[in-house]
Amino acid sequence: MNIEELRPIDGLNLSAEYRALLRPGEAQNDSRGNVHRLPRFFYEIGSWQDAQKIRLAPHFTLAELMLVDCREAELLLRQFPHYVPCAIILLATFLENFRREVDAPVFISANGGYRSPAHQIGGAKSIHAWGTAANIYRIGDTFLNDAKSIERYGAIASSRSRAVLVRPFGSGAGETDDHLHLDLGFVSLTPRECSEAS
Amino acid sequence: MASLADISVNLREEVEKTSRESKAHAVAVALLDFESGFRFSLAGNRWFHAASTIKVAVLLAIFRAPAEGRLRLGDSLHVRTRFSSAANGLPFRLDSDSDAMPELYHAIGRTVKISALAEGMIAASSNLATNLLLDLVGVEYARNVLRDAQVSGVELRRGVEDKTAHERGIDNQVTADGLLTLLCALRGNFLSNESREQAIRILLAQRFKSMIPAGLPAHATVAHKTGEISTACHDMGIVYLPERQPYIAVILTEFDPEKDGRHETVAAISEVIHRSLTGAERKAR
Repeated sequence: MNIEELRPIDGLNLSAEYRALLRPGEAQNDSRGNVHRLPRFFYEIGSWQDAQKIRLAPHFTLAELMLVDCREAELLLRQFPHYVPCAIILLATFLENFRREVDAPVFISANGGYRSPAHQIGGAKSIHAWGTAANIYRIGDTFLNDAKSIERYGAIASSRSRAVLVRPFGSGAGETDDHLHLDLGFVSLTPRECSEAS
Repeated sequence: MASLADISVNLREEVEKTSRESKAHAVAVALLDFESGFRFSLAGNRWFHAASTIKVAVLLAIFRAPAEGRLRLGDSLHVRTRFSSAANGLPFRLDSDSDAMPELYHAIGRTVKISALAEGMIAASSNLATNLLLDLVGVEYARNVLRDAQVSGVELRRGVEDKTAHERGIDNQVTADGLLTLLCALRGNFLSNESREQAIRILLAQRFKSMIPAGLPAHATVAHKTGEISTACHDMGIVYLPERQPYIAVILTEFDPEKDGRHETVAAISEVIHRSLTGAERKAR
């Protein structure tokens, strides 16, 4: 399977049990009280093998950006199809750009790409539920677990786009000290063949 | 064969003699023999720092959780080294230098199966595996499991290597009698058959064999867990001998830090227990 074969679907047409977990288009407060609408349009992934084959960008498979652990909701963890917000393509494109700049492999951690609003870490308040955030734990041979590495690569990521937020190094709220968090904001993507009517 | 009362008196004398000769600050022993029904407890309700014996309490919680729909042992868990202190919630990290399973650190950022972490926590006494598993189920859940299993004498309060909590007196503590009831819970009907077999298999895979097993004949197998920090040196296990029913032995000791001969003391007590229960000859040294 390749990227051209990805089928976008309207989350509002999913079964009730999927809608309860993915909450397509629902309004959600972030940690500052700002309201954002959760993603409504998703790519449907038929199997883990498909996710491993699909390259969203030359160096990033879909599987890397949707790998979660057992803290994900049962249905979304164990059964296919899986659903991933369409904006994940924008994330992959940015990561490819970033990888070119750092000129080294970029490793996304488990739970570090898309997590559903039902995931136990962060839930719907986390920007990971938009599929536009990545936690990078390693670049080349460097583990990003100190101020020097996180600040160095954070500066490079920030320089690539004003749309990118890089969390500063630290152990407080909104900071990271064992990975580099970057995100593109609360971006939702509506594929051309989908309608936002209704 | 001596009466059970004689065994008890003899065992107490021999353990106390071994304890005196080793210059241990404290020794506690708890014993349950499934062959004869013999029970023995010496200072069985004295509290000790748990050291790594607390990992058996985490093991019980992890293997209880599937029956309650909380997890599946084949599920995967994200490996990271950052945890929150039980004292103040601030982060602390583990590093591979202080872990008996440094290879687990190669999986940072990726996932490892819960069953593999459980094995690493016990067989290699991995601190990282322990904290990952305890972080997954939560201290409160693990405490509730101990309560439901009617295990008293095991106070699980935090993960391992939480120095801030230690400085504030928040430590995991155990008694010999408590650890004996914990092993009884693992061996009994508290867990499903499948979970029980897997938990015992993990305890049988213990890599550190210089204490209880060292005092036994070569044909014995032991499902056990050691625990050792600066002052504490423990071993707890189920001893299997093909010619008889198994017995559970818990041996807890406290020494001056850096005191030599701690493992040998526990091994000597293990030998005394074996001799007392089986009438075997004293092991040549």
